[in-house]
Amino acid sequence: MNEEHKMTILVADDDPTIRAVLKKTFEKAGFNVISAENGRQALDQMQHDISAVLLDLQMPIMSGLECLRLIREQFDDISPIMLTASDDISNAVEAMKNGAFDYITKPFNSHQLIALVEKAIATDKNTRRIKRLEAELERAREQEIETASRIQQTLLMGKPPAHLSGIEIATRTVPSQKVDGDFYDFFQFGENYLDVVIGDVMGKGIASALMGAAIKSHFLRVIHELGRSAVQRDIPPDLVAIVSRVQTNMISQMEDLETFVTLCYGRFDLGHNIFRFVDCGHMRTIHYSAASDTLSLLEGMNMPLGFPEIKPYTEFSVPFSTGDSFFFYSDGLTEAMNPNGDQYGEDRLVSSIRSNICHTPESLITRVWIDIVNFTQSESFRDDFTTVAIKIGGPSGTCMMSESEFEIQCDIHQTSLVRRFLRDFCASGGQVISQDRLDLLILAATEVVTNIIRHAYRNRPGGKIRITARTTPDALEISFYDRGEIFDPKAVPSPKFDGSQEGGFGIYIISNAVDEYTYGQDQHGNNCTRLLVSLK
Amino acid sequence: MVVLHTEELNAGNAKWFKTQITPVLEKHSCVILDLNEVRFVDSSGCGIILSCFRQLHSNNGDLKMTGVQKPVQTLFELVRLHRIIEIFPDKASAIQSFSR
Repeated sequence: MNEEHKMTILVADDDPTIRAVLKKTFEKAGFNVISAENGRQALDQMQHDISAVLLDLQMPIMSGLECLRLIREQFDDISPIMLTASDDISNAVEAMKNGAFDYITKPFNSHQLIALVEKAIATDKNTRRIKRLEAELERAREQEIETASRIQQTLLMGKPPAHLSGIEIATRTVPSQKVDGDFYDFFQFGENYLDVVIGDVMGKGIASALMGAAIKSHFLRVIHELGRSAVQRDIPPDLVAIVSRVQTNMISQMEDLETFVTLCYGRFDLGHNIFRFVDCGHMRTIHYSAASDTLSLLEGMNMPLGFPEIKPYTEFSVPFSTGDSFFFYSDGLTEAMNPNGDQYGEDRLVSSIRSNICHTPESLITRVWIDIVNFTQSESFRDDFTTVAIKIGGPSGTCMMSESEFEIQCDIHQTSLVRRFLRDFCASGGQVISQDRLDLLILAATEVVTNIIRHAYRNRPGGKIRITARTTPDALEISFYDRGEIFDPKAVPSPKFDGSQEGGFGIYIISNAVDEYTYGQDQHGNNCTRLLVSLK
Repeated sequence: MVVLHTEELNAGNAKWFKTQITPVLEKHSCVILDLNEVRFVDSSGCGIILSCFRQLHSNNGDLKMTGVQKPVQTLFELVRLHRIIEIFPDKASAIQSFSR
């Protein structure tokens, strides 16, 4: 064996005879041998390229156990073998617990010792190999996520038509760390029809991303095929036919990959103001009807794609009118979790959409996103955040909206600023309420702010009151946020009106001056007083 | 007759008003409050007016008001102050009411 390629063994024992015997034994077996008289010396010798270590348990200066601990700390891919006297088995067992490969009792059989050293070397080599493979696997996984993320951004998300009069569209995808197979796409047929498909492939990673991309491109192909055979060219193919054909073409692939796809394929018929859709187990689309000012959840009854569907797909339809909005989304929104493990859920999503429905689709999505981030207290979600918001009537719809914000200090003289702020706000938004109702609103706002200063902050300077004012199509809403003491408006007794009472009218005034008066705490721990004046 | 030269009577200036009017209430038993210039009154303002009214009443006097503007009237109606303190459309009729 070439001197250069010999493996080196470190032998540490305070007995010179044993060191000499071991040196001879291992050199004969083809190893280089470095010797040490104690644990400290042995540790110093570890700078060499050592393949195996033999440590005596009982050594001066640094014992075998201490030396073992330090070697394992610094060279975790080497497992020393302990040499021990026959009466020191308990220490040998202790050494095994601390990472020794094995122990051998003196006097030892040289063949047995050589075999043990060779086994230790082989085992350590395997450990190193496994570690290297694990690192490679980790790198490969990271690369997969990156690839999947690129697939998602480029192949999975379609572009909405840029110019389609009477309809305003916004989309948003925020990839999670693990990449789902969320996808969406748009297909336009002339000026009267816009199809939207949004889907979610079960599972994560490249397989899901590719399946999503395949399904999405299949829709395009099927629409093309069905369109060619259509009798009337300006009428788009039947919805049920499109979804059924995609399912038929893709089911065997989905079965092979043991996955399935939830999706909603919808069509806006802008000529007849009807939205038709085939829903296959997807998240319920949220429809805001401007005429009734209500939100409803559109749900189908079909199984997801990839399930052997016996019954034909069922199509549903809802009428829409100017000002209506549709909100499509993936489960990444509703299943977003806060630190307590609570999900954001459909109810919160609906109420967030409800309070932001008057914004443009773009801004609506942003506001929903912020609401979810506030809920989860994190900007990175477990699942992808995928949304499509569509508003009928375009940006110049009937839904006029304004919003303003203002802050005052805890100073009773600043209540006049609140009155001015409200007068200005109402004047800037076009006179949305009558002078009488504005007077009452200003009165209520003054009482709210006075209560906050006097009771929540107890006149202490430094407190702040933030006031937001906004108009929606159906209400003027003023909110007051403070961080003072919590109080219960319901605990305030009704005032007497016989002239015997000079105070205590505040809450009564507020409740009677506006249509709705609520008090509570928001998710940031602020007290929130809300006044609502109905515009209907 | 007391004329309020202020646009607002609220929590911010109720104390100031009280110190201003106290000497008047001590000297006179029949007082007319002219609110012509007042555009805004809040519950604290109401409270201070009621306090004046009660002080005069306990001395067998009375408090009446005139020049009540729309927003102020709205508040008075809300807390039913108009049922306790008489409101007159002008000074003359308020003065006349005392001589009855």
